[in-house]
Amino acid sequence: MRSSHPNAVEALVRKIPCPSTTGLDVHSALRSGRKTETMKKYWSILTTQVVNSLAYPGDFLGRSFSIIVFMLIFAGLWRATFAAAGTESINGLTFPNMLWYLLMCEVIELGRPRVNRVISEQVKSGEVAYILSKPYNFLGYHFSHGLGDGGVRVILNLLVGIPAVWVLAGPPPPPLGWVMALTLAFGAWVLHFCMMSLIGLLAFLVEETNSFELIYQKAVFVLGGMLIPLDMFPLWLQPLAKSLPFAYMMYAPARLFVKPDLATFWQFLAVQWLWIAVLIGVLALVYQRSVRSLTVNGG
Amino acid sequence: MRNLQLLSALWKANLQSAMEYRAAFLTQVIFMMLNNLAYFMFWVLYFDKFNSVRGWTLQDMMLLFAVAATAWGIAAYFFGNFTTLSEIISLGRLDYYLSLPRPVLLHALASRSLGSGMGDLIYGVGSYFLSGYVSVDGFLRFLVGVAVGVAIFLSFLTLVQSLSFWLGNSTAISQLALSALLTFSLYPRSLFDGAAKFILLTIIPASLIGSIPAEFVKSFSWPVLLQLLASSAFLLTASTWVFYRGLRRYESGNSMQVEV
Repeated sequence: MRSSHPNAVEALVRKIPCPSTTGLDVHSALRSGRKTETMKKYWSILTTQVVNSLAYPGDFLGRSFSIIVFMLIFAGLWRATFAAAGTESINGLTFPNMLWYLLMCEVIELGRPRVNRVISEQVKSGEVAYILSKPYNFLGYHFSHGLGDGGVRVILNLLVGIPAVWVLAGPPPPPLGWVMALTLAFGAWVLHFCMMSLIGLLAFLVEETNSFELIYQKAVFVLGGMLIPLDMFPLWLQPLAKSLPFAYMMYAPARLFVKPDLATFWQFLAVQWLWIAVLIGVLALVYQRSVRSLTVNGG
Repeated sequence: MRNLQLLSALWKANLQSAMEYRAAFLTQVIFMMLNNLAYFMFWVLYFDKFNSVRGWTLQDMMLLFAVAATAWGIAAYFFGNFTTLSEIISLGRLDYYLSLPRPVLLHALASRSLGSGMGDLIYGVGSYFLSGYVSVDGFLRFLVGVAVGVAIFLSFLTLVQSLSFWLGNSTAISQLALSALLTFSLYPRSLFDGAAKFILLTIIPASLIGSIPAEFVKSFSWPVLLQLLASSAFLLTASTWVFYRGLRRYESGNSMQVEV
């Protein structure tokens, strides 16, 4: 660990205004007109995490190279598939479309927040009781922290993945696809955050939560269209898959990345944020109940 | 013989430890089976759309998953530290194993058991029986394929993680190697041509874990058997030699610790 880290954190703590409130009192801070200060606080958490992530660029870049492994496998599989099908396009997607679609999925997957493990550990160790006394919202802290970490990972994975796919499948999609995909990718990240936080909070009920993450991950892989686009699903399964939130974590941004279409974009965006609203509601409810049960048990 | 006694004692202790948290252990086992099943749904959907790819069908993929999952499951359940060896080395946690008169590598690898490995093991065997390639001699070939897979997983990861003796913390490269080995092992080698095919037999020997053993289970071949046995024997020897060579450079973590 480099010595600059504790100093950076110390400096941050000195910079952050401490309203000596509990985590849940962020709302009162907003009400009293200190919205900007609150935003600054979470922005500082985010930027500190970015600095932390970049402290070991070699290590971080090394991890990003796994995206090349995945893209090589996908290229082999789909090249063979298109050759066997004897066609240029399958369900409206060409081989280059498919590879860029899969790259976007991989970038989202590798950049998704891993907050569940941290939250779960904090709950199991009892550290959560100590953290709740800090002058920030527990979930707000994890959101900013995760966004800083995920943002760096997304950028590095794109930096490594784009040249790889360019070599394997040709030039990337047009700029409009990038704008639409990145907009929806942010919503996808928020959806992931809600789900991962809910899995982390399960530690209040069960000892082992990593298993839930595995199942959730595979649900996203399959029903989210990460391994195979939803357009290639059996016809009876497509409407069901498109009505679930998983589709808006992977399929929506990746599909619009390679086939940008304004009408579809607005439709996907609306459904995605509807799911975000639902999941934020569920998360807030579960979080409040969890904190209450923690107080009842005396921490 | 003494090594077998050591392994037997360690596995017994690991089982007793798992049984202390029976519910958590069973959750890990069941969820890992569900996890594998959910992942395999990709191939169900794929072969629903495309009947075969380069001669591989859904049944063949079930066989490939059977061999790879069983091999991974055995390695994870019986030698659970095989994925965290680099951390053990770089954090100086080999001190404990060095202080005892037992083979350091074997002791370190078998000192931990991953409960989820049992889920992989059960899933793998189940997948074999559902694959449609069940016969007495086929099952014997399946066992050979699994044994080779376990040997490759253990030796390749030991080899890569032994880099920690020279590089310090090599967790990132170890994770990359693990990710590459595991992911490539779950795909048929016929999908890859030229250099990629060569790499999957040498630098990242993933084809020796899934694809080639699955082909061997389908039909016996002396050259393939010799290839599998020679490759695993070579990798086991090389990884053990590199580990003990690196151990000479090991610097104690000088930390107090208790192994439970």
